[in-house]
Amino acid sequence: MAERWNRARVLSLAPDTSSQQAAQSLATGRSWPLTGAAERGALWGECLGSATTPYRTAVDLSGPAYQCSCPSRKFPCKHALALLLLWSDDSIAAGGDPPEWAEKWFATRSARAGDAEDPKTPADPAAALHRAEQREARVAAGLDELDRWLCDQVRQGLATSQRSGYRLWDDIASRMVDAQAPGLAERLRALAAVPHSGPGWEGRLLEEYALLRLLVTAYSDPGKLPSALRDTVRSRIGFTVRQAEVLASAAPVRDHWHVLARRELDQDRIRTRRTWLRGRRTGRFALVLSFAAIGQSLDGSLTVGTVVDADLAFYPAAVPLRALVAARHDTLPAGAPPGLTTAGLLAGYARALGLDPWLESWPALLEGTPARTPLPCLFDAAGAAVPLHPGLGDCWPLLALSGGRPLTVAGEWTPRGLWPLTAWDHDGMAVGPVPL
Amino acid sequence: MSAWQDLVTASLIGTERTEVPPAAVPGVLTSDPASATQDPAAVLLDRAALLTAARRAGRRPGQADPLPLAEPDPRPAMSQAAGRRLARMLGGQYPELLAEWLTAAIARGLRPPPELLPALLDRTRRAGPADSSLLRLAAEAGGPRARWLAGLNPDWELVTAQHLPAEDAWRLGRAAQRRGYLASLRVRDPAAASELIAGSWESAGPDDRSMFVRVMADGPRLADEPLLEAALDDETAWIRKMAADVLAALPGSALARRMTARAVRCLRIERGPRGTRLVVFPPAKSDALMRRDGIATGPVGGSSQPADQARLMLEVVARTPLLTWTDDFGLGPAQIVTLWSGDWAPVLFTAWSRAAIAQRDQDWMSALLHRALTARPPGLAAEIEALRQLARRADPRLGGPAVLPDPGPDAPPVIREATRLLRFRYEMLKELDDHDGGD
Repeated sequence: MAERWNRARVLSLAPDTSSQQAAQSLATGRSWPLTGAAERGALWGECLGSATTPYRTAVDLSGPAYQCSCPSRKFPCKHALALLLLWSDDSIAAGGDPPEWAEKWFATRSARAGDAEDPKTPADPAAALHRAEQREARVAAGLDELDRWLCDQVRQGLATSQRSGYRLWDDIASRMVDAQAPGLAERLRALAAVPHSGPGWEGRLLEEYALLRLLVTAYSDPGKLPSALRDTVRSRIGFTVRQAEVLASAAPVRDHWHVLARRELDQDRIRTRRTWLRGRRTGRFALVLSFAAIGQSLDGSLTVGTVVDADLAFYPAAVPLRALVAARHDTLPAGAPPGLTTAGLLAGYARALGLDPWLESWPALLEGTPARTPLPCLFDAAGAAVPLHPGLGDCWPLLALSGGRPLTVAGEWTPRGLWPLTAWDHDGMAVGPVPL
Repeated sequence: MSAWQDLVTASLIGTERTEVPPAAVPGVLTSDPASATQDPAAVLLDRAALLTAARRAGRRPGQADPLPLAEPDPRPAMSQAAGRRLARMLGGQYPELLAEWLTAAIARGLRPPPELLPALLDRTRRAGPADSSLLRLAAEAGGPRARWLAGLNPDWELVTAQHLPAEDAWRLGRAAQRRGYLASLRVRDPAAASELIAGSWESAGPDDRSMFVRVMADGPRLADEPLLEAALDDETAWIRKMAADVLAALPGSALARRMTARAVRCLRIERGPRGTRLVVFPPAKSDALMRRDGIATGPVGGSSQPADQARLMLEVVARTPLLTWTDDFGLGPAQIVTLWSGDWAPVLFTAWSRAAIAQRDQDWMSALLHRALTARPPGLAAEIEALRQLARRADPRLGGPAVLPDPGPDAPPVIREATRLLRFRYEMLKELDDHDGGD
């Protein structure tokens, strides 16, 4: 059975305080004529509610994932939370077989989990090595082709690319998919939007082409690179590192991690959730990614505005940001994290660029006041301003929250400006992700 | 031009047609980076890569013009759940309940989440001057932060201008501001508002007169009866109609008494061996006095006599004080609505619903809702609409858990919809009562 969670951790999963309260009042044996727990981290129960038939609730602790027959649109609903609270209080007898309805749901869950894991552990090391060599050769050939393509663009002039439509980038992106370089393919596909991104698009397109050629150059001569930079180059091209390798390779970093901000991006029917963290003790930033098919729920265990005591394992990189939660110990109450100055943000980004010139979204945690002129921006106590991302529009919600006073703002710093994701109001309450 | 801009220009033209410019930046990059290649296109890209990294890393902070500070808002924050519900309503869920939500938030003296104020101001601005009461509510609920925002965005001035009624607004303002002034005066000092209307009536055009009647419709007062009774003879048809509606909602008015006299002839209770039932004697036709009291004449031709009679019956009962029936029958609303009335049941349900809404009679609204949701689902379009209106206006406590049964999956959509609406209103007010400042 999974390690028992404490009450605070359970309550931190609640979508709001009214759910917390409702769950606590439901977490009594009287409301639950039937409960049970299985070895593998599965809970189930039937809860008496206002309906004539009891609600059927099940929780898979490994996600955690929830299932309930109640009509609530909250997620997790109060029944799932109450069931977890009962378990947390040791009020659920372990053992026993789940009823059929719960068994069915657990079965579909584990089938899905099986799909997600990579069962193709190499049975034959020699064959695996051969496959790896083949891939390197394919990637190298693909990168040669990309290099010729990039030079062709600049030779003919970028002026033509505004007229050529998305096919121009789609075609070369497909060839990078064939060359098993999905990271490059993704980057190339995103370029189709650049010619329509407003004034200055030519410069932005040239930047992207230049950085792509830099990646080609770096990959072609790996011996010249420090090993961490080599990891960065490979990950940007699209070589992945297995979670198990990440967990095995480096000592995890334990800290009280402030969950700063969350951003969701949809691409190719996959939703990616980027969650930014910052360690209280180490001051390190971390990025936790989770993925789900669109329509399915994402891992919601990191709640913006809370602090988690956890061990993070960082992926190897020149600027290690991406991390896995290797172990989670506790959830702690939190107010606003201490913000940086504008100079601190820009200096941090400059240092990071020195190690990884391809870095395009850098965690920003600023103590700043929003303003509208001359450009929508955020300025710090010294009056130093950084622009907000032009894709944001007027930023009225952020202004409204500030009332002209400083806020703590967390978001992503990009070459085009700051994309705010979370703001802490004057009471220290985290607001977001709203379209700030 | 900067070294970067030169590179961009060259890349636009193409290295087939132009030289590759140098990437040296005085004081920063003293010489061009070495390239392992002779291909001008590759050289250009390498130089661009270097400058891209240098420009990104070398970015300097800019300047900003600080905004004025908003006045502090001393009101306590509402619960997070209440804030989230406001966000949902602004996002399109039950937008018609926004006024009720705002009224409740104001009554409890709570501060809405400031980050939602821009959406609230946009929403009320779109509703426009046509809905000046919504504008007033938004301005008041929004408080000093909303006024601060309106000072920054001319689009929202209209919203907060409503909040500052001055004598000037009355003499010089646009129609919406005049109405705002009059309405707020009527809240502060009803007698003064009546006096102002009475003094302006003679010289007012039809637009102003209809505005007066509309202001008086918001919480009708018996003291306004002389003005409204006179408006029954106004030259403009729809002012006459509106005045009649307001008077019908005033149970003590002369119009209400006239309506009662008509109504008691039309609907009687019979206590017979087969139980107690209602018997209907519909009015034969409308006369000039009925028309003066706002009872619309039926469509000319084409409609059957029974349909006309049902219509007249509906119009009369809908304008009759509901006390007429409880007094006359000696029964409470909950009993009256269950009395057998045969084919007339849909007409009576619709008429009583309209009367209960106009007269703001919660007992009747509850009784009618209960009846519709538990015993006799409405079938006619007019009944369905009446049920919708009841669900919007009845005491929201009806939406509380265990007050009304959950409609089963086979319940007609209108029943499920009305129950959902009541539940939503119940939850919405409960969240506002649950406030605890900083949860």
